[in-house]
Amino acid sequence: MVKNILILNMTRMGDLIQTTPTITGLRKKYRDSNITLMVTKDFEEFSKNIPHINKRVVIDIKQFRDRKSLNGFLWIDLYRYLESLLDELKINSYDLLINLSHSKLSAFMISYLGVNNVRGFGCDNNGDRITFDPWMQYFGTEPFNRRINPFNLVEIFTRGAGVTPENNPIHLIPSSIDIKILIKKFSNSIKEGDLIIGMQAGSSIEGRRWSPKSFAILADGLIESLGAKLILFGIDSEKELGEQIVYFSKYKDELIDLTGRTNVDELSSLVKRCSYLITNDTGTMHIAAAVGTTVVGLFFAHAHPYETAPYSPGHVIFQARIECAPCSYGVECNNIVCVHKVQPDHLLLMIQRHHANGVWEITKTMSNMDEINIFNTYIGEDSRLRLRSLIKHPITLNDVIREVYAEHWLKSLGQEMDKNNTHCDIGELLFREYNCNNTDKLCMQIDDKMATLKSLNGIASIGIKLTNEIINLCSSGNLTKTIDAVKILAEEIEKLDKRINQIGFVNPELKSITDMFVKRKENIQENEPTQLALDTKGCYVKLLEECASLVSLLIPVSNKFKSSNVNTFHAVVSSINVEVPGR
Amino acid sequence: MNLYTKNLALLKVTQPSLAKRVELEPLQKIVNVVMSKDGNPIPKIGSISLHSTYNPFKEATDSLLNFNFNSVDQPVIYGLGFGYHVLEILKRTRHKEILVIEPLMAIFQAFLYSVDIKSFVNNTKFIVATPPPKILASNQSENWNVYEHIPSIRISDNFFKRMNLALKTSKVIKKNRIKVLIVNPYYGGSLPTANYCVHALNEMGHHAESVECEKFADGFFAINNSTRNKGNLESLSKQFSSFMGQLIAAKAADFKPDLILALAQAPLTPEAIKNLKLLNVPVAFWFVEDFRNLTYWKDIGSCYDYFFTIQRGEFFEKLSNIGAENHYYLPQACLPSVHRKISLSTEERYKYSSDVSFMGAGYFNRVQSFPRLLDYDFKIWGTEWNLNSILGSRIQNNNKRLNSDNIIKIYNAAKINLNLHSSSFHEGVNPVGDFVNPRTFEIAACGGFQLIDDRSELDDLIDPLKEIVTFSSVDDLCEKIDYYLNNSDEAKVIASCGKERVLKEHTIQHRMEEMLIYIFMDNLDQLTTRFKVEPRDPVGSSIDYAGLSTDLGKYLEQFRGSNDFSIKTMVDQIGVSTGDLSKEELLVLMTDQLVKTESNNG
Repeated sequence: MVKNILILNMTRMGDLIQTTPTITGLRKKYRDSNITLMVTKDFEEFSKNIPHINKRVVIDIKQFRDRKSLNGFLWIDLYRYLESLLDELKINSYDLLINLSHSKLSAFMISYLGVNNVRGFGCDNNGDRITFDPWMQYFGTEPFNRRINPFNLVEIFTRGAGVTPENNPIHLIPSSIDIKILIKKFSNSIKEGDLIIGMQAGSSIEGRRWSPKSFAILADGLIESLGAKLILFGIDSEKELGEQIVYFSKYKDELIDLTGRTNVDELSSLVKRCSYLITNDTGTMHIAAAVGTTVVGLFFAHAHPYETAPYSPGHVIFQARIECAPCSYGVECNNIVCVHKVQPDHLLLMIQRHHANGVWEITKTMSNMDEINIFNTYIGEDSRLRLRSLIKHPITLNDVIREVYAEHWLKSLGQEMDKNNTHCDIGELLFREYNCNNTDKLCMQIDDKMATLKSLNGIASIGIKLTNEIINLCSSGNLTKTIDAVKILAEEIEKLDKRINQIGFVNPELKSITDMFVKRKENIQENEPTQLALDTKGCYVKLLEECASLVSLLIPVSNKFKSSNVNTFHAVVSSINVEVPGR
Repeated sequence: MNLYTKNLALLKVTQPSLAKRVELEPLQKIVNVVMSKDGNPIPKIGSISLHSTYNPFKEATDSLLNFNFNSVDQPVIYGLGFGYHVLEILKRTRHKEILVIEPLMAIFQAFLYSVDIKSFVNNTKFIVATPPPKILASNQSENWNVYEHIPSIRISDNFFKRMNLALKTSKVIKKNRIKVLIVNPYYGGSLPTANYCVHALNEMGHHAESVECEKFADGFFAINNSTRNKGNLESLSKQFSSFMGQLIAAKAADFKPDLILALAQAPLTPEAIKNLKLLNVPVAFWFVEDFRNLTYWKDIGSCYDYFFTIQRGEFFEKLSNIGAENHYYLPQACLPSVHRKISLSTEERYKYSSDVSFMGAGYFNRVQSFPRLLDYDFKIWGTEWNLNSILGSRIQNNNKRLNSDNIIKIYNAAKINLNLHSSSFHEGVNPVGDFVNPRTFEIAACGGFQLIDDRSELDDLIDPLKEIVTFSSVDDLCEKIDYYLNNSDEAKVIASCGKERVLKEHTIQHRMEEMLIYIFMDNLDQLTTRFKVEPRDPVGSSIDYAGLSTDLGKYLEQFRGSNDFSIKTMVDQIGVSTGDLSKEELLVLMTDQLVKTESNNG
């Protein structure tokens, strides 16, 4: 029975909020357990809003910042600080540790604490990287395959912690602040019943920001058409953005600029009072999702809705649909064109329509839509939070693969599913959300990927054969003979693995599969030859199963497209016949 | 034979360099010799008598009553006088060599005229009129047991104060890691010296780093081809120099040295030097060039805090005239870790050996005189030779530059290494050549036998009879080549003595030590303050801070002696070690992550 749980989350505010379903899930699963949350000093205050936590441990590096110039022994002070902090934690004998920090520091901490039951990124006794739990392994490969990733980080974290995300929405402990008094504190112009819309123009990374001018034009439109009151949110360092929005707006007096003026509690309360929050991908966005405010999200540069969309239904998200969006992992873009693809009018028209009838839908007056994605978050038939594309773009291979992967990984990585979950019909779903006319080329691409999966399958079979030979050799007992033979087989395996890796690079749509194979091998801890061979064999078996699973999921989708193409062809022929009777 | 001649002859055997100096030095008649009541000679300078005018031996015995002798420490006597106290100390120390430091050559000359030195020479090393830094760099100074001859101290009070200051400075320098930034030239003969300085300082336990200006040499030379307009060329060169000055300043700001040492031809303009001085550390220059050939010292000499030279006399006067008062003679030297005896393979021996070898550039006097050697098995190595000249067939390696590893193979392989200092004006030997080139020390350190042209500074550095062989003309050279080719055993003995002397006194380490003492004698307080702010034994200090008996303190012990200790040192060590991570290693890795995160944020 798990009694003492430690959760490491030394990340940012948004990540902390995204952890709440995990914590709630853990609380439901281990009702009487003690849950300790480790956070950084910067987010100590905010972490008090995270529910179900029994104890908070704060790692406070800030205290050393001012002492930098004092002497050359600062590192010893830090060392001592860590030692005493971790030694104190050790006393608690945690029987489950969830690491949501994915930093080397957290990995070393886990090793130091010596907790046996770990989920997440860590390291072994030699300090080599190791990832406990398949979902967390998937999380390690995701940044390199983000365009085909179907999972929100909330879902990955939650499943990685061994709990279900479906009935554990993100949420925060409600603020006790009286909203009326709070509003009065900042503005006299807001009356009860006023439509209040929040704007968060900042974001931790500058390149992710929609321009202040765009925010201002949108604000003007919302004031003019809906009579909305606009509140500008942001932290102290984002004050200039607030000032710029006010500068560009026609209704300077109507904007309530609170950038740098609210504490976290006040921010949560005010965001909750807003009907909409128009925001870049920020911590404030996740607060809105947690307190039930509708989010109009703007995702630029690295921000990717499939990873970090607000984790609740009913929100709308704008993203550029261009070849380079989102930026790949590690890229520092010097020409962020994606921010210009989304126009203030796009948002204005959508909000107006939603305000009128409570539905997110495209209006006929919206133009320049080829290069944008507009997603609506909703709960799918499988009870998972999904993104619905509101613009019926021509379907691409990535769109197909992403949907197929959702089903595949849920099966392959293991899942705690809600009993009422039903599976989606992938073909149906794709036809519903995308323009699936003229899919000949797509069918060829799918066939090509299936052929590649079959050859990958063949390689996995060779891997199984080679590892079997090693196992047999090791059990034969003749050590002198065995060593040379095993060496030769190991070299063969090495070549095989290179080939698998290469296939992933040549076929980026399948890289998620090959990366997971690599990740699994990386996690083999065994040194004893027979066991090592058995574990390696396990990786090939898993690869073989995954290839087969993907093919089995792709076949019906491909067939559906193929049959729809045939129908189209017949329809065209028929129409000719109809139009030219008698020929 | 009078007493002086007899003494000088004896001194030539025991301390030939000193004997030569005595000979060359004009007799200074400031010492008045009187006889004591008991009939012994007593030196007097002005009204000060350096010994008792009654019974100097008894006075010497009495003065030593309170002086403690022990068998471990090195006896050192401040002040020679006429040596009555020295004889008394010699009696007590038996066969131990004692050092006698006498600042005045006049006293020593008078001593040689008046006292039979036979009783002294076997166990006494006279150090006469020698700068304190040189004394300390050339002699073991860690365990001196000093006897002060009070009358001598009274006469040379200032010198002995400087001596004590130098001793104190030397101790501080030996105990701490000095951070020295070496500014390299773009190219040329001073570049290897710059690199040797870095090696030597690091080998001495200090921390030296280079500004590798040579990496910008192509850019510097490319300017010449970029325009024909002289004005534009000048302007571009100036801007390039200014850029280099900024680059050097940037490196200095990062490294935070205790001393900046620029080598000859380093690209530092007066403005750049001024800028470096803002760091508030001494900025020195080692001009390892002939001041008559390269005259840019006139523009920069006064800008530096310290100006080291390989020539003195006339050059010192000229430096004083331009306001560069803080000049100091520091001859070239060898780096034993590079210049050493090696065994050659058969192939290498075939390639590098010859009866006579020369390694160096094709200067005028060499081009003129070397054809005289064509009857010998003679190989010429180095650059700037004319392959189409009569010497062409003897030029090795197609006139291309050789690295140090190959150069020492030449020195090791040749029966005779020819060392003719360059001259652009003479047909053969420069009759008034003064400084000694680095090759002199490098060949000797390799155990190579060399024939070197006469140089006025040579005698002070190496004994031209026992330790090296000189020639005064090309005719003389040919005679000596013939002689030593036929008397190779004699050549071997000379080479061996030369090697011993050079390793004992003329390594770059000796020069660096001398330089550091000289510079920091004037800046000792500043230096010790810097040590307090930034401790120079980071491992030791870290252990002290962590606590010697703590787990961390014990863990850190393994890093004692690390050249450049930091968290990275520990992380690198963890990276190459195997097995399970210890508690301390894990904490170090975590600390490293925190420090990195903080520095990224900061």
